[in-house]
Amino acid sequence: MLLRGIVVGLVVGFLVSRIIFLRRSAAANTQPIVSVLETSPSEAEAHVAGLDSVLNAIPLGVVVTDEQGNIILGNHVVAGVEILRHIDVLVNEAVERIIKKSRETGSSVRETLELFGPPPRTLVIEARPLEGSKSIAIIEDISERTRIDAVRTDFVANISHELKTPVGALSILADTIRDEDDLKVIHRLSSKMVKEANRMAKTIDDLLELSRIELDVSAVLEPVSIFSVVAESIDRMAYFAAQAGIGIVSQLPEADCVVKGDRLQLVSAVSNLIDNAVKYSEKGDEVTVRVSPQDETVDISVNDEGIGIPPSDIDRVFERFYRVDRARSRGTGGTGLGLSIVRHVMNNHGGSVNVTSQEGEGSTFVLTLLHQSGNTSVNNI
Amino acid sequence: MEELRKGFHHELDEVRLSLARLAASVIEAIPRATNVLLSGDLEGAEYLILADDEIDARSIALEDRCYQLLALQAPVAGELRQLISILKLVGEIERSADLTVNIAKAARRIYGHALDPKLRGIITKMGEQAQQLFTSALQSFEENDVAIAGAIDDMDSYLDSLQRQFVQAIFESHAAGNIDLQVAIQLAVVARFYERIGDHAVNIGERVLFIVSGWRPHNKGAARHVSKLAEDDTYGIRIVPTNNSDV
Repeated sequence: MLLRGIVVGLVVGFLVSRIIFLRRSAAANTQPIVSVLETSPSEAEAHVAGLDSVLNAIPLGVVVTDEQGNIILGNHVVAGVEILRHIDVLVNEAVERIIKKSRETGSSVRETLELFGPPPRTLVIEARPLEGSKSIAIIEDISERTRIDAVRTDFVANISHELKTPVGALSILADTIRDEDDLKVIHRLSSKMVKEANRMAKTIDDLLELSRIELDVSAVLEPVSIFSVVAESIDRMAYFAAQAGIGIVSQLPEADCVVKGDRLQLVSAVSNLIDNAVKYSEKGDEVTVRVSPQDETVDISVNDEGIGIPPSDIDRVFERFYRVDRARSRGTGGTGLGLSIVRHVMNNHGGSVNVTSQEGEGSTFVLTLLHQSGNTSVNNI
Repeated sequence: MEELRKGFHHELDEVRLSLARLAASVIEAIPRATNVLLSGDLEGAEYLILADDEIDARSIALEDRCYQLLALQAPVAGELRQLISILKLVGEIERSADLTVNIAKAARRIYGHALDPKLRGIITKMGEQAQQLFTSALQSFEENDVAIAGAIDDMDSYLDSLQRQFVQAIFESHAAGNIDLQVAIQLAVVARFYERIGDHAVNIGERVLFIVSGWRPHNKGAARHVSKLAEDDTYGIRIVPTNNSDV
């Protein structure tokens, strides 16, 4: 990463000095002291235009200012992402401030700008003086890197929590039982041990299933009826939903849809979504499973009227062991792996999973799969 | 002739840029405030409170700059409207930043109290809508876009209806015993803060309309007073109807 930064820096520095040099010679039409390129003004202009497009192709924001602080050169790329209006204003302000600071101190100044968005953005802005009282600022978008770092840190914390908590509980319970004579207490403690052991077993089962699905990229795909997948998934969850007093409604089109896929994996994905929908609904709510065929794809959506997902967590719910509310998760008995499994199943099938949610109104998860007819071209490759 | 005013035009551009930056800071502060409220982020609350001091200082500096330009450059017509309006806009923006601080302080007061998903959902929506209104206000100002400025008022009515929904949801949550009276009152005040941010955005839009056209939107209360005065000249305090187009 550092090496890449240095290389990009060198290339940018070279280009910029070249452009400034060309601009100067083009504008003043004076003989350059060191004759690197002996070009006519119009050729120099053409070079500048060419280099401008080169500059725009670099995935970094670059701004060059003259001795008064006016921008003489810049690209409109900040990591190739279209940015929001107010962020644009704030970034410009920061660049101006940092260039000014670098001019005043005569040295390189580096600052990190964190913007709330939404979506949140982290930019590193570095300004350094160039020869002839000019300055250059390079803007790098490290939002994605920051996000991945957070995912990694949280994953380690979460997995230790999920695995260590039941083990810790088991060891304390076993320790207590060892010195206990009262049969009643022993009975109570041992049933707690069974509960913790079950919880542990479920987490391990899910982890194994997840790694099996992850490895199963080359699974034999066969024609699968979506109706049968939905019917079996609802069937699996029906008892659990009835216990919780929640209705499951399915809305199916007239004709069945057929996709190429692994039947068991698809059932696992849909039933995981229904499981979540039921868990986060209140008694008397309804969960709707809808199949809607599109031109080349078929959507399976699972909608609930439950508590919903806060906007700050919505991008993260597919991460392994990620919890929106850790205090609540023990009550629902989930392992924190369900949605990771769903996402991997969809990856294996060349499909996608999307979620929309509003807190207090419910969530909708949509699985998008290719029709069997739309899939043939993929098989030919 | 234009060359003589070049310095002034440059300064006017700078003043406009400073105002846009001030507004951008508020647009950035609104989702931060919402997040502070929903996640009980006390550190974030502290950050917002400190950031507001900076906005205050920048507002005062910008105001002074406007006075200077008015006194030294004696602008007329569109430029005069521009400077007078910016003076008023500084106030609107600065007050909006204060409202985000008020939300952060309310978040500190209700720290540790869990809120129903329904309440959280409406808070999220109010925050998004307030930010959207302010973003449109900034855009209309930067681009002198009267069409966007005019649309802000309509967008604000959605924020107003969210506020009413929220108050209703507070009553329900309180009746269900999920939140106590203290939290309920804090939340009702928070809804008011969001609604006020929206109102300030509407005012910015109206000012943009004035900058561009010299026309000021109809004020119902003032018009009522003037018409009553016309019927009965002993009514109320005597005011002289002004003609906008003179400025």
